Amino acid sequence: MFSEVDPRSPTPLYDQIASRIRIAIAAGDLVPGRSLPSVRHLASRLRVNPATVVQAYRALAADGFVEMRQGSGTFVCEVGTGRKESERSAQARQLVRGLLSEAARRGLSAGDVAAAFRAELGSEVE
Amino acid sequence: MSNAIETRAVQRRMNKAFEIRDLALNVPSGSIYGFLGPNGSGKTTTIRLLLGLLRSSQGSIALLGRSVPADMPHILARTGFVPERPHLYAGLTIGEAVRYHSAFYSAWDAERAESLRRQFRLDPSQRVGRLSKGETGKLLVLLALAQNPDLLVLDEPTDGLDPVVRRDVLSALLDYVSQCGATVFISSHLVHELERFCDWVGVMDDGRLVAEMPMGTFKNGIKRLRVLDGPAVVDDAPFTLLAREPSDGVSAGEIWVVRDWQASMSQYFERVGASLREVVDLDLEEGFVELLRTFRSPNA
Amino acid sequence: MFREILRTQWKWSTIGVVVGAVVAFALPLMTVQGAGTADARWIEVRQLLDDQRSWAQWYPLLALAVGLLVGTSAWTNDHRVRHVYALTLPLPRWRFVLLRYGAGLVLLVAPMLALAVGAGVAASAATVPSGLHAYPVALSIRFALAVVVAYSIFFAISSGTTRTAGYVLSVVGAVVVVQLLFRVSGGSTNLLTAIFDRMVTWPGPFEIFSGRWMLIDV
Repeated sequence: MFSEVDPRSPTPLYDQIASRIRIAIAAGDLVPGRSLPSVRHLASRLRVNPATVVQAYRALAADGFVEMRQGSGTFVCEVGTGRKESERSAQARQLVRGLLSEAARRGLSAGDVAAAFRAELGSEVE
Repeated sequence: MSNAIETRAVQRRMNKAFEIRDLALNVPSGSIYGFLGPNGSGKTTTIRLLLGLLRSSQGSIALLGRSVPADMPHILARTGFVPERPHLYAGLTIGEAVRYHSAFYSAWDAERAESLRRQFRLDPSQRVGRLSKGETGKLLVLLALAQNPDLLVLDEPTDGLDPVVRRDVLSALLDYVSQCGATVFISSHLVHELERFCDWVGVMDDGRLVAEMPMGTFKNGIKRLRVLDGPAVVDDAPFTLLAREPSDGVSAGEIWVVRDWQASMSQYFERVGASLREVVDLDLEEGFVELLRTFRSPNA
Repeated sequence: MFREILRTQWKWSTIGVVVGAVVAFALPLMTVQGAGTADARWIEVRQLLDDQRSWAQWYPLLALAVGLLVGTSAWTNDHRVRHVYALTLPLPRWRFVLLRYGAGLVLLVAPMLALAVGAGVAASAATVPSGLHAYPVALSIRFALAVVVAYSIFFAISSGTTRTAGYVLSVVGAVVVVQLLFRVSGGSTNLLTAIFDRMVTWPGPFEIFSGRWMLIDV
């Protein structure tokens, strides 16, 4: 989750970072109480502006996913199951929205996309 | 002081064909300022003017609130410089070069120097003149960072370096900036690289500063639109039209490259009876190319 | 700061300093080779003085060579990087130049001292015939001053840009060429000698190089 960001994507860098952390929290990969990498460490690792990392952490804190403690770092908060669910659903919908608009660009219909889903995922999709 | 680097109306003629003119740089303190421009646009000359290596024939230059060239020693004590071409003494070993350099800076951080030396895997007994391009680049960055500067001026620091070395150098740079909040002025023609971490952008072209703005404004403002049935004449659009050409390939219509775009401006197309099919974000490099196109052709 | 400048300058000037010191020590000893016999007749005294005179020319040349080597090696590395490194260090240019100059002087103590020691040893080892005297101290002082003058001149020329050094050397070259032309055309004016004379007699700057370099003299 802290591996790479894409500066060419239309999504702002801070949003990319925040999203990944949000997903990890929602999936349970990041447990409550766990500390996130320091701003310095993450900025250096991703080769982004430290202000970008701060912005990502602040966005997460504003949404209640993390808590920024002066001097100690940034820690994952307890996030209720309902919250996790809605986060995962929001991420999935964002993905689907992107997929659908790309499909439209290529001249494919929603039906084409649905059929492709069924073919790829088998009986799991209805 | 709000600007780490500030120039006003700086001018310097280099030869009959080329001069720097009307240079008004504003580099906010604590920012990471990307200085972009094609080769030969005057980036290195500008840096030499900033550091007092060249004298301007007109105008004023101030670094860290102090005047260039009057207060040069004070400025240089707080400024780390990574030149385009290595300026170190080739006959010294790395160890000797570091020791020599450290003697001139009261804020020298020996621990940082040693930690960077290990991180960069530089052998202190190797001669500076025998280092590879990558090792030289790393050594120059090591020396600049170990000075504990308030301002870093880097002239194409990663040019010609392989991707691994480039990452090492940029990581070390950002690590320092995160820790010490220094201002960074970094010139490059490798636009993609700067895109990740610069929060300000200045663009040079043919000796003039043609654009200077926050990175977000630069990137977000320039878009590529796919338009069908566009009007022949565009004179009352809320955006600035930079370029307009027929769309090649599969899609129909025209491609318009615009500046200062906002989503609400799509209403304009309805008003003129055109159809806006697509809005494409440009990455920094494409935006930069389009911007230069505007400045090189008088009418868009 | 000075210590590091001295350290690097020692690294660059090692040959000039070490070889210069060795030769400076050996020269007086070789000068007194012939002065062995206790009682000498006037023909041997004459021979001794002739010997001294022929050896005497090497001292100013050595001073010049040492000054040249140490003075120019102080700046060669800066020239290679077009002085950018020195100009971006946080100290005024004049101070940096002064530190380099001082470092060179410190290094030059070695050959100066070597000559003094050599002259002293030579003077005491040699048997000086009555009527003649040995002047080791005067010789050492003269040598030291000549080294400083030569060093200062070559240091100054080298400290400028390569272009300035080129100008200076071209002027010197031009004077030599003019002199040659005069000689070839049969002109009686001896320009070079005239300039030379002006410079090597007091109060000219190079007076130190002319004058008596005799270790043993009347």
